[in-house]
Amino acid sequence: MSNTTRKLWTLKFNTATWVLIPAAIGINYLGKLFAGVLKLPLWLDSIGTCLAAVLAGPIAGAICGAVNNIIYGLTMDPISTIYALTNIAIGLVVGILAYKGFMDKFGKCILTGIIAGCVAVLVSTPLNMIFWGGTTGNVWGDAAYAWSIAHNMPALLASGIDEIIVDLPDKIAVMLIVFAITKSLPKSLTALYRSGDTVESLD
Amino acid sequence: MAGIIVKNIKYKYPATDRLALDDISFTVEPGEFIGIIGRNGSGKSTLCQAIAGLVPNFYKGAYGGSILVDDLVVKDTEISDLCKRVGIVFQNPFNQVTGSKMTVYEEIAFGLENLGIPKPEMIQRIDDAMELLDISRFKDRNPFDLSGGQMQRMAIASIIAMKPDVMILDEPTSQLDPQGREEVFQAVHKLSQQGITIFMVEHNMEKIAEYSSRVILLDDGKLVALDTPGKIFSRMDLPEYGVTEPAFTTICKGLHLKCKNTDEYPVTLKEAEEVFRVYQSQKEENRNG
Amino acid sequence: MKSISLYEEKGSMLNRLGPESKILYIIAALLSPMLAGTKWVGFGFIICSVILLVQSRVIKKTIPILGVSGFILLTVVIIQGLFREGNVTPVLSLGKVIFYQEGLLFAWGIVINVLNILLCFCVLILTTKPSDMVENFVRHGFSPRLGYAVISVFQIIPQMTETMATITDAQRSRGMETEGNLMVRIKAFIPLISPVVMSSLINTKERALALEVRGFNATNKKTFLNDQKRNAADRYIEWSLIVVMILALVWRILKWQVL
Repeated sequence: MSNTTRKLWTLKFNTATWVLIPAAIGINYLGKLFAGVLKLPLWLDSIGTCLAAVLAGPIAGAICGAVNNIIYGLTMDPISTIYALTNIAIGLVVGILAYKGFMDKFGKCILTGIIAGCVAVLVSTPLNMIFWGGTTGNVWGDAAYAWSIAHNMPALLASGIDEIIVDLPDKIAVMLIVFAITKSLPKSLTALYRSGDTVESLD
Repeated sequence: MAGIIVKNIKYKYPATDRLALDDISFTVEPGEFIGIIGRNGSGKSTLCQAIAGLVPNFYKGAYGGSILVDDLVVKDTEISDLCKRVGIVFQNPFNQVTGSKMTVYEEIAFGLENLGIPKPEMIQRIDDAMELLDISRFKDRNPFDLSGGQMQRMAIASIIAMKPDVMILDEPTSQLDPQGREEVFQAVHKLSQQGITIFMVEHNMEKIAEYSSRVILLDDGKLVALDTPGKIFSRMDLPEYGVTEPAFTTICKGLHLKCKNTDEYPVTLKEAEEVFRVYQSQKEENRNG
Repeated sequence: MKSISLYEEKGSMLNRLGPESKILYIIAALLSPMLAGTKWVGFGFIICSVILLVQSRVIKKTIPILGVSGFILLTVVIIQGLFREGNVTPVLSLGKVIFYQEGLLFAWGIVINVLNILLCFCVLILTTKPSDMVENFVRHGFSPRLGYAVISVFQIIPQMTETMATITDAQRSRGMETEGNLMVRIKAFIPLISPVVMSSLINTKERALALEVRGFNATNKKTFLNDQKRNAADRYIEWSLIVVMILALVWRILKWQVL
């Protein structure tokens, strides 16, 4: 969705973008639900955030990520609120990469997933250290953490490994799904979220 | 009360080549009820949204000509200002629920809160609107728990509470079941007695003929005709435009039964009854004579 | 129509207070232990939160929230107790598995911290109507459009969850497999999520049109149908909480000076 008529850092959203944000959060939630129903070993809970970032820009993606976690925090799991930082970072990074054309081709899209995964690790690991002492609550990741600590690796590194095992495959999968979805969207839907366009004159 | 002046309106949606509206001009007097008919893709919705200002200010795209609602130039007016004068209701009742309010009462208040209406006046307007649309008994229900017809009446109430001078109904019954359609047409009937200017896009030609003072026929973005229902539905070339006339008009056309002293076929039930009565009494005369 | 909020109106004292007081309570509960530099302040806030929740008759509703993090806390205790670097003092042994004092103490600190966060959040979320909270933010100057985006999530999610069952059934009846090996299940994901995304985006466009013509982008000052949720007691509570935080800081400074 690289389009230079759209301003990258616009703070003034049009109405369609304001309606997109709650819908994207709903998509996040459903992604997580379907992943649970299908018993997939991935979270798949940031499809909406990344979709919003691709369609409407990094600020929209960041707001989507922030509101997503704030609401999770207010309704299910207060600790989620702090992890809003991770989702904000993902929204920003994916939005910037999408603007620069990284979501136009399959290969570049996987790269976006890898970068987003690494960003998630960079932001989440310090949070994991502060709140949980380094673990994440995910079985595979924590097993890796325990193994790393038992082999005398520093806690921060062990925590990073824990998070990478959890986040990297998940973010790559998310970006592939977002790629598949955006490629099949008609232009009339994707054009809605650009706020930089003006009315041409036919007179 | 608002008069509308449409002058040479042309419009292209973004990233398209085809003119959705192709040089349309007409004038509407305050208080008129204008029916809009035409096949799918003829520009009916686009015309509705052009009067409401969504075209071009929501979609952007390419725009020519002008629309005046009283003294306001639509293109140069923010939608948030124009919506005080022009209201519009769309096909899908579900998508007109904001989703941010937990009761019907608060849902109708949404537009009034945005416009900064003081609370006492807000309450009065909401009560009046619910009364008009006969949904007062739903005031504490969740908007998503209503039936299609009830939801659509709530959508109309939400717009009416904003007290527009012009009301546009873009296929308000297309997505409703028969009971819902009946409920909405009753609401339209009441609206037509309020004296505001109304535009209605509908596929139910009997209703169009019954309520409209004049009818617009569109085809391929162009204005084919703007005239009384009698003249429009008496045209014999309607099939070319993908439009049919009211059922009894078709029958009368087949029997060559025109209204007394006119060159028009009957388009409402009353006119048809009159014509059939005349026809029947003539036949009896012929038999007896 | 369910909302995802856990709020329930019980006519309690906390219900009558404005959301600002409760948010300030959370800030106080999180900052004071940090300012004072001791875990006992966190423990104190936990007790305080429990008392408030019992008084408001919502203590039972904390159980699902505690449950989510409870499991993680258990894993933390186990992993830190067993593997933490610097574990030298054994305290409990189950066969060949040894729990160490340093790890368990560290885990205990985490448990206190997490419990404090969970319970002080519960004080807010179990007694506050989400729309009251968002409306107050908008009253204080937040963008009403952002307020809309936040509050509509509470109804969008139950709406979309309801469609999930329909979509799953529809796709199953078209022959899509949802059980089996990993590859089968992965392949099932996109046909399940695609229709949801498509219809969401179409609905987004139509809803945006409907909002526009209800004055969504109006720049004038908004008015409110509902009265502001605020109590005479709110002022006192807010000032008391600020005083508590200052006291915590003072305590920390005094401790330094003594040392």
